Amino acid sequence: MLEIKGLRASVEGKEILKGIDFSVKAGEVHAIMGPNGSGKSTLSAVLAGRDHFNVTAGEVKYLDDNLLELAPEERAHKGIFLGFQYPVEIPGVSNVNFMKTAINEKRKFENLPPLTAAEFLKMMREKMAVVEMDSSFSSRGVNVGFSGGEKKRNEIFQMAMLDPKLAILDETDSGLDVDALRIVASGVNKLKTPDNAFIIITHYQRLLDYIVPDIVHVLYDGRIIKTAGKELALEVETRGYDWLING
Amino acid sequence: MSLQYKYNPEIPEVFRCRVPLPGTYQAYLLNGHLRDNLKIEDKLELKAEEVAGFNLSVYSKSEIADTLQVISVRDSGDVSDLRFANTLSFGEGSESYILLCTHTLSMDEFRTESDLDINLSEGSRVNIVIMQNEHNGSSHKMNFNIKQAKDSYLRMNIISLHGARLENHVSATLEGEGAVCELNGLYLVDGKQEITTSVNMLHLVPHCHSSQLFKGILDDESKAVFSGLINVARDAQKTEAYQANHNLLLSRKAKVYAQPQLEIYADDVKCSHGATSGRLDELALFYMRSRGIGLHEAKLLQQLAFVYDVLEKINNETLRIRLQELVESRLRGEFGQCTNCSMNCC
Repeated sequence: MLEIKGLRASVEGKEILKGIDFSVKAGEVHAIMGPNGSGKSTLSAVLAGRDHFNVTAGEVKYLDDNLLELAPEERAHKGIFLGFQYPVEIPGVSNVNFMKTAINEKRKFENLPPLTAAEFLKMMREKMAVVEMDSSFSSRGVNVGFSGGEKKRNEIFQMAMLDPKLAILDETDSGLDVDALRIVASGVNKLKTPDNAFIIITHYQRLLDYIVPDIVHVLYDGRIIKTAGKELALEVETRGYDWLING
Repeated sequence: MSLQYKYNPEIPEVFRCRVPLPGTYQAYLLNGHLRDNLKIEDKLELKAEEVAGFNLSVYSKSEIADTLQVISVRDSGDVSDLRFANTLSFGEGSESYILLCTHTLSMDEFRTESDLDINLSEGSRVNIVIMQNEHNGSSHKMNFNIKQAKDSYLRMNIISLHGARLENHVSATLEGEGAVCELNGLYLVDGKQEITTSVNMLHLVPHCHSSQLFKGILDDESKAVFSGLINVARDAQKTEAYQANHNLLLSRKAKVYAQPQLEIYADDVKCSHGATSGRLDELALFYMRSRGIGLHEAKLLQQLAFVYDVLEKINNETLRIRLQELVESRLRGEFGQCTNCSMNCC
């Protein structure tokens, strides 16, 4: 589904990603771990198309496309979703209107007619249940006045609505208490199918107790320094990163 | 003394109010002349001033749930430079909602200056919305002179959509304890439009509150000037006064000059002021695009989000929704196709 080769990226002249290689197949869950400043968030933003970062080398193939040539909205239409570490507040634009715009833009791309109001509301209700979100959220401004946990749940709700093929979750667990973590993780597990894939970016093993990865990568200083199975996450939890960095 | 000739044509069929509200009392001011006097038993009286302009009296204790809409239009019947004065008096304990719209019906380069003396008696509650929507070759200067007595409350929102040169000068004097004055403004300017806003908020007595929130979006080579002063007199202890001016610049050639000022002579007050100018937020745009919303629409959503907290302050829901629609179509540039039209409909 996704094939990354020799990906390098910089911001304001400073190189952050220094050659990333890995592939994701449908049905897989990948975890990317690493200390602060290793480039995890940059990698997720580059994959979703944030033009704040300059891609200086490498290629990224997604399904049949050269991903790097697509605008962020085109990537979204083709099934890429990025769950933000710090979701943005949009006052005055209600969740329901925001999602209606997003869904119908995607349907336009797929040559489908817009959803009727009834279809849309039914879908909203179903997907809100996935993350145990109260219906009052739908009329509130996007992320406005939401607690940290509510914002993250809203990200998973949006993901459920958009039904992506490849979801990248950037530190979705940061700032979550145990209950919110459980809700977010069970939301992800409910949405997992053999046809989609997840890249979970996290500092901690904690989230991976709930969402079990197939493959774990450790990113450090812009490079993947270790790739292994789910046991790697446990090892990082007990031993930290030093043994990998210095080894 | 000769009879004063009053220009008094019919309102053209093509002109319809853009903000039709159920239960609205409407009055037309044509080139400064009130077309019909209006009297609502026990509530209010609106009558023409001797030369030009209008005089509104809201009687003491009257509560007027419906909005009084005064539609000020200019048309080719009188293209001279006009200056006229209006008086709005709100009696003790009264409550009222006023909407004042300014329009142009022909493409003449109108120059208008109107004074509005606004007097709030003790305990009166007044909501005023000013909607400026003249064609982009016309200039309008409005001078607001507000006086507030004890425990009176004023909320005034100035929404400026169109006009080549708009000036809004507000001078508010809080003369009675417990008076509350809330001024909000939104200006959307593009092309070569210029807008000037000045506020002189004078706190003379203790325990008064004032706030100012003025926001603007500027595109092309437009220009905005904001000059706001909060003046707290020595005796005006326990004053709370806030002022904010925020600008969103969409082009490199747009200019904003902001001059927030505080003059405080009392020592037990809460006051703040601030002015910012910025561009669209790249991260927020990326957030929306990552959800599949195209760049153009994402920019629009961000502008709507930027102006939201000003529009939110319009109490009347029907009017607020109508104005939100006008603002949205203004920001979508849907007026662009009718630049040679004076109506600014949509």
